[in-house]
Amino acid sequence: MSFVKRDWTPRQAEEWTKEDTITVIISPLIYMMILVGGAMSALLMARGFVIFGLGIVLMIVMINIINPKLSAISKGFEEKQKGYIEELEKKVRWED
Amino acid sequence: MVVFSFLDWFWLVAFVVLMVGSGVRFYRLGKRSESDFFLAGRGLPWWLPASSVYATHTATDTPMWVSGVVYRFGLSGLWYTFYAAWCAISAFVSAKIFRRSLAYTQAEWQSLRFGGMSGELLRGWVAGWQVFINMFVLGWVGIAMGKVCMFMFGWPLWIGLIVFSSACAIYVLAAGYWGVVMADFQQGIIAFIMILIVSFWGIHSAGGAGHVVERLHEMGQAGKLNPFNFTGFFGGDFPAAWFLTMLFIGILGGLGMGTAIDWFPEAQRIQSARTVKDASWCIWAGSALVIFRNAVWAAAILAFFVMYPDLHEVRDYEMAWFRLGFENLPSGMLGFFFAAIVAIHISTISTHLNLGAVYITRDLYHHYMNPKARQEQLVWVGRIGTGILLLGSFIFGSIMENITEWLIFALWIMAAGIWLPGILQVIWWRFNGWGYLSAWVSNLVFSWLVVWVLPAFGVLPELKDYHQFWLLMLLGALVFIPVTFLTKPEDMNKLVRFYVMSRPIGWWGPVRREAVRQGLIEEV
Repeated sequence: MSFVKRDWTPRQAEEWTKEDTITVIISPLIYMMILVGGAMSALLMARGFVIFGLGIVLMIVMINIINPKLSAISKGFEEKQKGYIEELEKKVRWED
Repeated sequence: MVVFSFLDWFWLVAFVVLMVGSGVRFYRLGKRSESDFFLAGRGLPWWLPASSVYATHTATDTPMWVSGVVYRFGLSGLWYTFYAAWCAISAFVSAKIFRRSLAYTQAEWQSLRFGGMSGELLRGWVAGWQVFINMFVLGWVGIAMGKVCMFMFGWPLWIGLIVFSSACAIYVLAAGYWGVVMADFQQGIIAFIMILIVSFWGIHSAGGAGHVVERLHEMGQAGKLNPFNFTGFFGGDFPAAWFLTMLFIGILGGLGMGTAIDWFPEAQRIQSARTVKDASWCIWAGSALVIFRNAVWAAAILAFFVMYPDLHEVRDYEMAWFRLGFENLPSGMLGFFFAAIVAIHISTISTHLNLGAVYITRDLYHHYMNPKARQEQLVWVGRIGTGILLLGSFIFGSIMENITEWLIFALWIMAAGIWLPGILQVIWWRFNGWGYLSAWVSNLVFSWLVVWVLPAFGVLPELKDYHQFWLLMLLGALVFIPVTFLTKPEDMNKLVRFYVMSRPIGWWGPVRREAVRQGLIEEV
């Protein structure tokens, strides 16, 4: 059994899990690495390439972790979306 | 002053026609309905709104601002631009929640989250505030274009302010958000390519990247290459405490909605994505591109610093990136460069024209004035709203020199006292509409007092911006937390409906249990 779950049902994907926690920790780190590594790489500094490369690797890891879950959430939600839109129009109406 | 050759004018005219034409082409799609005019029918793949996020947040004043902080602080100055990091968490938290609510705007979301009078007051307030802010931003960005045109051609300010915004309005009026997002896509590509060309050309002109690094060491400015070059924990121009505050605000702000001013245009892009997954990736990828762009700019500004190390006036060094382009690109490329500046400019203008108009149409006209309006009427109101915003931006832009300080203050209001309530409304079921409304009102009062009034009377010293943030957050909490507990919770049935549809994270236990009891969701 892998550390991160790859197969989700829409109902399971609704819950907050360790995949979400890992993602929200990794994601800002990737941004920081792109920012710092990108600037240093543009100045041909060796550290910059290492930091930027790590950022790209982490990004691939993050996509692999969270994308299956996002797909499951989307699938579950899209089936209900049409009904939700009709309900929304009724709910937000100021007067009948 | 810059002199254009025939080839330069050719590039400029060709690109403006291409940009306006590509927007107008979507006229038929844009006029179909309110949903098409403002959300492209909620059918876009992630990369289209992502390119729009990137293009929108690359405005005429952005390179000036990045130039200013990087010239002054070196790579550390990049952290001033890192506020975009709120998208790092928002993409996987609040973007999902907002997309699932199906609200057109943040104002509409307020009335889905909060019920009764407080929900309606919040919807009206947020809508009015956003109309004002969008008009203000249009004026601000417009006058920045006026300054660029004055710098380049010696034109009076009003020409740059009016001409390009008006050209942009053609496709926003015709095709609404369809025009905005389609034009943004190609404007984003043009701008990105030109940012790379100008920046690396500039670095090359300074002797190459290796020479720039070497010169910085020789000049005793090696600290400018260190992104963590703080002046102490609390002291100096660039304290670590400021950096940590910025990280705190930026990153944790992604848990909430409306915690950054950029949330509002992003919300429109989130809602225009075809699925929840597309919504998440669109703001993540768009912001990642913004951050990468800032990194490239920073390297180019350091090259400029090596060439011109003795500029002391902000107005001189904030033009660094523009000067790299105009002073170093060969004739024939200048028109291409200016076309990219126009692309940068009108991608931001188009977004704010359409964004302000959606609040006028959806939240003010459709909600309060004519709930039974036909789709055709709503599209026309959207166009009229776009026209009002355009004209208002000219007025704001023409007086902007005197009120820049006011704008900064207005933007500050968005960040400080509203930051925590913006998160609480998403993660805590007990936080109610009266609590959020009291946060807005008290923040208006406290921010005036803390930023201007009390320092003017010597009651309070002039605080640094990050000190102001913490103080305003604390003062606001002293109001909105008691107000929340002294007023009734939101109606449970409303909360249950909201919870089932949006599935927010955080402290929603009682609402979740009620939803399970009603059989609307199942325990996993």
